[in-house]
Amino acid sequence: MSSLAVEHIDGVAIARLSVDIDASNAARVRGELSDCFQRSTDQVVLDLSTTAYLDSAGIDMLFRLSQRLRQRRALLLLVIPDGSQLSRLARIVGLGRAMPVHDTVDDALRSLSNPCGAGKPA
Amino acid sequence: MSQPSRLEHIQSLTDASLGYLSLEELLSELLDRIRQGLAADTAVLLLLDEDRGVLVARAARGLEEEVRQGVQIPLARGFAGRVAAEARPVVIEDLSQAEIVNPILRQKGIRSLLGVPVLVEGRVIGVMHVGSLHHRSFNDEDIALLQLAADRIALAIDRARLTEQRSVTEVMQRTLLPDALPQIPGLRFSGKYLPAGSGVKIGGDWYDVFQLPDGRVTFVIGDVVGRGVMAASVMGEIRTALRAYLIEGHSLEAVMTLLNDLLSSMGRNRSATAAIFELDFESGVLESVSAGHLPALLVDPSGQASFMETEPGLPLGVSAGGRYPCTRGTFEVGSTLLLYTDGLIERRSEPIDDGLERLREAGRHAAELQDGPFADRVYLELLDENPLEDDVALLAIESLPLGERLSMTLDAVPGVLAGLRRTIGRWLAGQGASEAEIFDVTLAVSEAAANAVEHAYGARDATFTVEGQREPDRVRMTVRDDGRWRNTRPYGRGRGLAIMRSLVDGVEIDSVDDGTTVTVVKRLEEQRP
Repeated sequence: MSSLAVEHIDGVAIARLSVDIDASNAARVRGELSDCFQRSTDQVVLDLSTTAYLDSAGIDMLFRLSQRLRQRRALLLLVIPDGSQLSRLARIVGLGRAMPVHDTVDDALRSLSNPCGAGKPA
Repeated sequence: MSQPSRLEHIQSLTDASLGYLSLEELLSELLDRIRQGLAADTAVLLLLDEDRGVLVARAARGLEEEVRQGVQIPLARGFAGRVAAEARPVVIEDLSQAEIVNPILRQKGIRSLLGVPVLVEGRVIGVMHVGSLHHRSFNDEDIALLQLAADRIALAIDRARLTEQRSVTEVMQRTLLPDALPQIPGLRFSGKYLPAGSGVKIGGDWYDVFQLPDGRVTFVIGDVVGRGVMAASVMGEIRTALRAYLIEGHSLEAVMTLLNDLLSSMGRNRSATAAIFELDFESGVLESVSAGHLPALLVDPSGQASFMETEPGLPLGVSAGGRYPCTRGTFEVGSTLLLYTDGLIERRSEPIDDGLERLREAGRHAAELQDGPFADRVYLELLDENPLEDDVALLAIESLPLGERLSMTLDAVPGVLAGLRRTIGRWLAGQGASEAEIFDVTLAVSEAAANAVEHAYGARDATFTVEGQREPDRVRMTVRDDGRWRNTRPYGRGRGLAIMRSLVDGVEIDSVDDGTTVTVVKRLEEQRP
């Protein structure tokens, strides 16, 4: 089973992850996210609203991937609902400093159509 | 032939030291001795292949071609076939007058033949014969001597077959039944596998338990039609395919449908009954599907026993396109689920409902007792003086409350981390921890566990332990491995440690030569006396 369910809306890939990201699957998730970029688009929204846990291996993976994409002028956006346990973790490790983090998928998509809204500080 | 030399020949056939030879050496030695003892030109041993109903040349002296050419004689045909079919000695004084299947006998110029059956407990397992190039009439003494040799060979072959079957059976059982049932806090497993009869023919009964990455636990029971190595290997195929489908994330209905299509497409001789159960700890929901398997017994916390009403589909492999509807039930803490194969309750001369009722009664009674594993208690209740008519596989799953202490040993592989987090979450919830507290402690312990797994990388059979203890105002959890704390990836590990420190109130790393212990302490809002 693929870890990611991917759909495309207006040329943006939206990848939804419903399992935890940890040492057991971080490399695979990274590979699947990279595939999304190669196949379709320069913008991928990673929806973590049903993901319960993200450990340091998962966080490292997101930081590194985002850094690589930036060099290619591509963008990884995260969706982590406000008030969730994951959003607390995102603040602690400073995910928002490296990539846009949004409350909902709609917010993330809106930020892409409106270049001024580059994501809220997390 | 003089009398003393006859005695010597008898002694040479019953010589105790023959017992130390391998089967091949023994056969060749006995054929030599009997040929000498009877002054015969040829000596041949053929063994019966019961499945195909033919005698196959196994060893020969003076007629080695028989073995090399793999001569096969149908039962009741020709000379050897007649000996086997009639299960008594046959003498042919003049071969030119007799019906012969095997042309080698004539080509060799054999004139006279004496054959005796090789018998085990009155059953024919083969034929032994000696031949003479000259016309000869074999007397009663000759017949007795050849029968003596045949009996000695029967003994050796029977013993060798038993040993071979046993070792195949043992290997099969070791490979196909889970060697250790997984440790999942809150569940206690006890399993039993009992082969019927002498135990040399393993059946196709099996059970299995495993945990999916998201924490759900799956129990499986099944029974392949037939016995022996073939049934056991079909069972192995099903077990592997079933695990693979579940890991791919299919629903229970889909898993059963896929299994059925797979077995149906693999040709005849592959049919089985099976039932799969999936427990979601968080909701207590127990889903089940059944492919013609007997209903599982559920003993509730009050000790009432009833059969689960899983809607049964057709057995696997009977026809493609079968449907397997999923039934939802609940599995409360304090309940026991009992999975079994029909050998446990079926008695010849008794309707199946009587057997089910006896099992229900045994389950109810077993729940009142405390001694020994649950599966053993049920089995002892049902045990009677009759020998088992069929193999029995039995798996009991008890749902237990999680206490103030948590203790588990896990394989040091990344795949265990997700299940570990679910278990810790469940335990912490039982200790009154809030959602945020559960998240923090779980993630901190998971980080420590990921380190233990990383240390063990490449080591075979490495394990680590996780323990939790509720104290009045906090929880204390330890992760212990037997490797060394190494900062192999400073960037990642540094972040892991930083995350741990920011989530909980105390992180202590104690690294000594024989391993590392990480202790995580978190204060809880809810206090316990």
